[in-house]
Amino acid sequence: MNRYKSLFTALAAVVLGLLAGAVFMALSGSNPVAGFYYLFRGGLMNLERIGNTLASATTLIFTGLAVAFSFKTGLFNIGASGQMLMGGLTATAIGLSVQMPRIVLLPLIVLAAASAGALWAAIPGFLKARFNVHEVVATIMMNWIAYWTVYYTIPAYFKGTFLETESRRIPALASFRAEWLTNIFRGSYINMGIFLAAAAVVVIAIILDKTTLGFELKAVGFNRHAAEYAGIHVPKNIVLSMSISGFLAGLAGATYYLGYAVNMQIGVVPSAGIDGIAVALLGANSPWGVAASSVFFGILHSGKGFMNAMTKVPPEIGDTIIAIIIYFAATGVLFTRLWERLTRKRSKEA
Amino acid sequence: MKSKISILLVGLMVVLAIAGCAKKEAPAAAPSLKVGMVTDAGTIDDKSFNQGTWEGVVRAGTEFKLDTKYLKPSGTTEADYLKEIGNLYDAGYKFVVTPGFKFETTIFQAQTKYADAKFVLIDGSPHAGDWKSVVGPNTVSIFFAEHESGFVAGVAAALQIKTGSFGFIGGMEIPPVQKFNWGFQQGVDYANKNLGTKITMKAENVIYQGSFDNVAAGQQIAASMYDKGVSVIFAAAGGVGVGAINEAKARATAGKTAWIVGVDVDQYAEGIYSGDKSIILTSAMKGIDVAAFDMIKAELGGTFPGGKTLIFDAKNNGVGIPAKNPNLSPEVQAKVAEVFKLLQAGTIAVKAEQGTLIK
Amino acid sequence: MEYIVEMLGITKDFPGIRANDDITVRLRKGEIHALLGENGAGKSTLMSILFGLYRPDSGIIKVRGKEVSIHNPNVANALGIGMVHQHFKLVHNFTVTENIILGMEPTAGPMLQTRDAAKRIKALSEQYGLNVDPDAKIEDISVGMQQRVEIIKMLYRDAEVLIFDEPTAVLTPQEIDDLMQIMRNLLKEGKSILLITHKLKEIKAIADRCTVIRRGKVVDTVDVADVAESRMAEMMVGRTVNFKVDKREQERGEAVLSIRNLNVLSSRKTQALKNFSLDVHRGEILGLAGVDGNGQTELVEALTGLRKVESGSILFKGRDITHDDIHSRVMAGMAHIPEDRQKRGLVLDYSMEDNFILEIYGLPPYSRKGFLNRKAIRDHAEKLIQDFDVRSGQGALSVGRTLSGGNQQKAIVGREIDHDPDLLLAVQPTRGLDVGSIEYIHKRLVEQRNNGKAVLLVSLELDEILDLSDRIAVISHGELTGVKLPKETNESEIGLMMAGIAGAGGME
Repeated sequence: MNRYKSLFTALAAVVLGLLAGAVFMALSGSNPVAGFYYLFRGGLMNLERIGNTLASATTLIFTGLAVAFSFKTGLFNIGASGQMLMGGLTATAIGLSVQMPRIVLLPLIVLAAASAGALWAAIPGFLKARFNVHEVVATIMMNWIAYWTVYYTIPAYFKGTFLETESRRIPALASFRAEWLTNIFRGSYINMGIFLAAAAVVVIAIILDKTTLGFELKAVGFNRHAAEYAGIHVPKNIVLSMSISGFLAGLAGATYYLGYAVNMQIGVVPSAGIDGIAVALLGANSPWGVAASSVFFGILHSGKGFMNAMTKVPPEIGDTIIAIIIYFAATGVLFTRLWERLTRKRSKEA
Repeated sequence: MKSKISILLVGLMVVLAIAGCAKKEAPAAAPSLKVGMVTDAGTIDDKSFNQGTWEGVVRAGTEFKLDTKYLKPSGTTEADYLKEIGNLYDAGYKFVVTPGFKFETTIFQAQTKYADAKFVLIDGSPHAGDWKSVVGPNTVSIFFAEHESGFVAGVAAALQIKTGSFGFIGGMEIPPVQKFNWGFQQGVDYANKNLGTKITMKAENVIYQGSFDNVAAGQQIAASMYDKGVSVIFAAAGGVGVGAINEAKARATAGKTAWIVGVDVDQYAEGIYSGDKSIILTSAMKGIDVAAFDMIKAELGGTFPGGKTLIFDAKNNGVGIPAKNPNLSPEVQAKVAEVFKLLQAGTIAVKAEQGTLIK
Repeated sequence: MEYIVEMLGITKDFPGIRANDDITVRLRKGEIHALLGENGAGKSTLMSILFGLYRPDSGIIKVRGKEVSIHNPNVANALGIGMVHQHFKLVHNFTVTENIILGMEPTAGPMLQTRDAAKRIKALSEQYGLNVDPDAKIEDISVGMQQRVEIIKMLYRDAEVLIFDEPTAVLTPQEIDDLMQIMRNLLKEGKSILLITHKLKEIKAIADRCTVIRRGKVVDTVDVADVAESRMAEMMVGRTVNFKVDKREQERGEAVLSIRNLNVLSSRKTQALKNFSLDVHRGEILGLAGVDGNGQTELVEALTGLRKVESGSILFKGRDITHDDIHSRVMAGMAHIPEDRQKRGLVLDYSMEDNFILEIYGLPPYSRKGFLNRKAIRDHAEKLIQDFDVRSGQGALSVGRTLSGGNQQKAIVGREIDHDPDLLLAVQPTRGLDVGSIEYIHKRLVEQRNNGKAVLLVSLELDEILDLSDRIAVISHGELTGVKLPKETNESEIGLMMAGIAGAGGME
């Protein structure tokens, strides 16, 4: 019953987001029907584009899960970007300096990057648990520390021959791209991260719904006083929740920098960290919802350029339209509730 | 009530989607050339690379009645760039211009993936990430002699100011920016030795900020240079340069002397602080728009120099200072024109390496 | 007869439950009309409808004979209806005056103009004998005084009809007497009062008429003077109520809990417990009496592990557990019915079945190797719901938040007793509950004792302590003032001990 309701709410939110986007397209003098036609075709019209959509979704699934997981425990991890950077930096460092068989190297990179993300999130978690420092403030700070750490480390140790601003190219051995996968999707830059992401969705869903760990974490999130009363170690769970959240963001970093991208650039805060918040909101913090909304956002991201190319919508307006769709979809949950209340009231008065 | 509306909407979307799939390919390809461009990290009106390239494309578009379009990638990774090239290609834009070295590995992939399209890579050469240039038969790689551009600007600035101290602010320490710097120093040095000026450039006044977008840092660095007695700053630094320009404008408004030498395009308009008075002394230009325009023209004329690497320098008027320089006296402009001729003739040679120069 | 408010045939449905079923209540001008019913009977819903917080599904409301549509609290205010909520709605770092004018601030230009308001508040306070200082900050005044601020807030808005929602739940006996006097003053000044309560004593003491509601329906409206307390209780519960707790005589067993020279600090770092020593034995209910805030909370928190012990020791079943964590104490056989059921006792957003395993989710059969066993959890929940008569919309799957206070409390009591604890710490286990639930919970506590378990009952209600306890310990300012047998003492002696005057020679 409840599950259907939140599914319905999310769908209504998506429709609301698309409607808002349509209004904006119309305002900018374009035909919304054509606009959406090319937007969705751009994301889905052939295997390559489907692959690209999934590649964009991969990163969002990880960061969306990271944010959703922390939400479940009553924490707001706004630092997925920083954790992603640290995961990416660790992955890049290993990928550029370690030589070993791929079958060993890739798992090593995954584990190391995820651990780096976990550690980066555990610090604000510890500060929250021990000194009650608000995690929003702490994770934002950690984002900047990560940003400047990357800014220093990449040029100092991993720079290319000529360019100061990005690392050397990741060797094929350490890349998450796989030839067979690229071929299936006709030259898309989809990478094996998508399998990791799918696995993460399932594992997180199981942790939250079926394990004592999830039971503890959610209890702490809903009511830490009651959790404490019941003998659940609250500080431990806060650190743990942040660590798992950062673990996921670290995976986002590994697969983004070693799969989606081919090297690591400095001076860029990955926007997926922030988009993860919208993904989690639209997905109602459920792992399955996160997966679905990530794919939706992936379509928008990869279809936008084709819409711009095929219509008179200027790229800047294109960005705005995508942002509006995301914004309305993510906050649409609120709008639909408002709508529900209004209609209920009206039916009473009638 | 609500559910009815929603169902209606969902229904509408589904119908649209089905209709969309059923409908066959996009509009029939127009007979004439469709020219596309993918922008770099900045905006289309960045007063620099993106804008210069786009102006060349638009000029060609108007002149030859072509369809033109630019796309803005959502990130700065190779995948993001490649995706937009794919979008242009799928939409029938089979002549693609890309500004900046960041497109090097992207174009390397695109030139084989889209073999029937043409690519113009400005300020870079395609490679697989190993810096071994592979310019495909459908690609033209274009470079500029930034050192010559910097040289001419250096001569002009020195001639106009005569005595004093100059400075340089760079963005990232990358070859095009470094060449501007080295050329500028050589220009100042040439004027000191041959044209009787007394300009000094101290090592402490040659600074690479490290990014192209930190406006505040640019303003700070410029302020400290001006405070140390520098009268002219050559800012080859994108957004960082914008900060330097802001600082100079503030000082000029307060009645103090502060000059900036612009970069890439004629930045005179950027430096206007009152009426039509600008703090831009002159600009060290690269003919980005010319390059884009020329390549499109060549394609239309069937002479697209595919597979070649072109250098735009003084000889082919690919670099230099603006035709109009309100802040330079006519005598100075005449003198600079003479020097430019010597440069074209090869009488003067400007080095593209650091040698004994600062940084 | 002139009616000032009439609610006629009110019906209101919530998912899974009909909260109000064709309810009719008429309030005469100048009377105190009590609304009597158990928790969850539908009193609060009915008043929320009158106050414009809910819309009825059917039925009409008349005020001064005219039909009205009250769609939000502002309309209610405009009609002269004001409500003193059970949980006060006051801003703690504002003064009394600021709180009262909140939402209708008098201004002079852009500036707040509070002087006249303060004067009027002072005048109202004197007129009704409320004794409120308009300049005091809310956080500095007592709960009873805060309630008066709420009353003045209504009067300041010219309310003619005042609704009191369980007004005595948070008051001390002395404060209750004061409130009764205030209500009489209000009546004298021409106001009418609707009193929501489940306390028969108070109805008998002050109300003129009483409408009894049971499970969403009106049982009857009676003149209070004509009906005996026990009859009203029957009407409310639907059966005869036994006020006397049946307790057989029995020998107490060995000490389960031994507290030795315990020193504990309060949250404000003041000495909350001073060298406190006490034993609790098998087969007894030990009642701990005391005025609120005399160290009871800290004692219980120290015993359960929620609060750090400064010095002294706690022996449980002969083992020193002074520094054990909460979980191991629970596992060792200590159960705790917490003082605040919503803050500590339940995860309100969890389903009842999850709340029932809050402490034991890690044990088989509820989980194995870290994975929850939903079937076992469901069975467990259904058994407890059955055994402890926990009523809710969707049974085991009901979210904790949707249960009435009484049913929440029954669920907690059930959960804790189900652990089969050697020691049950019951802290105000019947606070804010109706007669039926109180009777039920008392029976369960006595059952524990009869089964040879130890019960430490902490309560602010002296009646409850006197009725249930085998021994009575009294705490004052963090010190034990004495231990008495119920048959050898009386209310006034315990009262003196609560005030810190040591009993004449304690036993044990």
